[in-house]
Amino acid sequence: MAVQGIWSGTISFSLVAIPVRLVKAIEPGRISFRLLHSKDYSPLARRMFCPEEETMVPRDEIIRGYEIVPNQYVLMTDEELESVSPERSRTIEIVDFIDMKEVDPVYYDHPYYLVPSKGGEKAYRLLVEVMRRTNKAGLAKFVLAEREYLVAVTSRDGALALTTLHYSEEILADEDLSPKKGKTAAEEQNRMKKSIERMIENFDPGKYADKRRKKLTDLLATKAKEKAPVEAPVVEQEEGAGPADLVAALEESMRKVKPR
Amino acid sequence: MAGATIWKGSIHFGDTDVPVKLHTAVKEERIQFHFLHRRDQVRLRQQMICAYEKEPVPAEQQSKGFEVEDGKYVIVDPAELDQTAPESSRMIEVHEFVKTGQIDPIFLDRLYYLEPDMQDNQGKEYSALVKALKELDVAGICTWNMRKRSYFGALQAREKMLRLNTLRYADQVIAVGSLDLQDVPLSEKELKIGSELIEKMAAPFEPGKFGNEHQKKLQEMIEKKARGEKIAILVPRRLKPTESDQLLQVLEASLKKAA
Repeated sequence: MAVQGIWSGTISFSLVAIPVRLVKAIEPGRISFRLLHSKDYSPLARRMFCPEEETMVPRDEIIRGYEIVPNQYVLMTDEELESVSPERSRTIEIVDFIDMKEVDPVYYDHPYYLVPSKGGEKAYRLLVEVMRRTNKAGLAKFVLAEREYLVAVTSRDGALALTTLHYSEEILADEDLSPKKGKTAAEEQNRMKKSIERMIENFDPGKYADKRRKKLTDLLATKAKEKAPVEAPVVEQEEGAGPADLVAALEESMRKVKPR
Repeated sequence: MAGATIWKGSIHFGDTDVPVKLHTAVKEERIQFHFLHRRDQVRLRQQMICAYEKEPVPAEQQSKGFEVEDGKYVIVDPAELDQTAPESSRMIEVHEFVKTGQIDPIFLDRLYYLEPDMQDNQGKEYSALVKALKELDVAGICTWNMRKRSYFGALQAREKMLRLNTLRYADQVIAVGSLDLQDVPLSEKELKIGSELIEKMAAPFEPGKFGNEHQKKLQEMIEKKARGEKIAILVPRRLKPTESDQLLQVLEASLKKAA
């Protein structure tokens, strides 16, 4: 089963164009809860709701609005949004190849993966492999819904990872926080270095399970023993239901404009 | 100007204690849209609905469940959940140090600037730690509890400052293996020309070069619409995918173009 895409389009460098889909790289983790209806234990879904008509609103009746004065909106259709930067709404064009070591981690925002769409497998594999060999990352800009993102595309374990980056104007200055000019005692520094050197290990994130998760797992195990788990009623999958949440709504509206 | 202090703690390892204040490092400003009902422009809100009854469910009728198997849940009440919250503490405990290059960037989450807390004698310990981390090219892997949550992070030095980068837990990062990527054979020639092309397109990272022009264009479009002007609908540019059997020729043409 193919992974569900958030966006689809092409990634390009020079004259090479690769059809791809953007998919998530991060998930909530092992212990995450669902909201249930206390009455029938059915899972709850997030829907867009019209407070005046008191009804759920299907996605084809939803439009984005920008509030210019209180309660007065400028409406924007998906097509209009895509017209803001038409050259970037379906294309991730790599303009430079950079060394990721030069990127201050303060720029990192959120990681995703790119996966090849049909016909793009070979060129995708090539980009993964040459970026690995040259140890370079592609820098590009692209537009998703109402935002334009600066992104770094890197080679990770045989896949293309895409990390959104902050714009430099979003990075706060840190000069006013730095220590006042004070001399550091060489002795102090050497003592610290020795202490650090004794503690050098390899990076292994797997061993840092969330402490709270352990307590939660214990709690869940105890509860499951005390009382049988409740069962949710079976719900048949409805077609054309409203978007699950705001992000999903954005993704949905982007997906409506499918590539040829 | 840096953001306000959001939390205070003390970095601890061995017999070292460095009191610090956390500051946010990023401030995002975005054009905010609302979702409206198309026909009457009523602003919509999110509502939790029961998937079975298809009815809105008020907060007092919502409970939290953990799915033990398909469709089966263990219900946990809020008081029980509170008991699992970590004890509050002011200690940022460093468990080990790793070479900075070993940290896979996909784990990096939110970054905070650390300011020396005045309790520290003019920031002497702070500066000594900055220098020690830089000379050894290491980051401290640490854990701390902040606002009822346990965090896992990397303590790093940059220029004269310490920073704390929260890390994602290993079970939150989706492995590449689950993407089901195909292995496609490539010729050595394709790889060689591809690598040359990348080297030709290499440039230093200059983030200042990339402004958010889109935001300004979007703002202009909103203003135009507000004045009642018509918006030209432009079709998104779509590139024709490079055919697999033409990859080599396209790479060669690209290299010629870049030269």
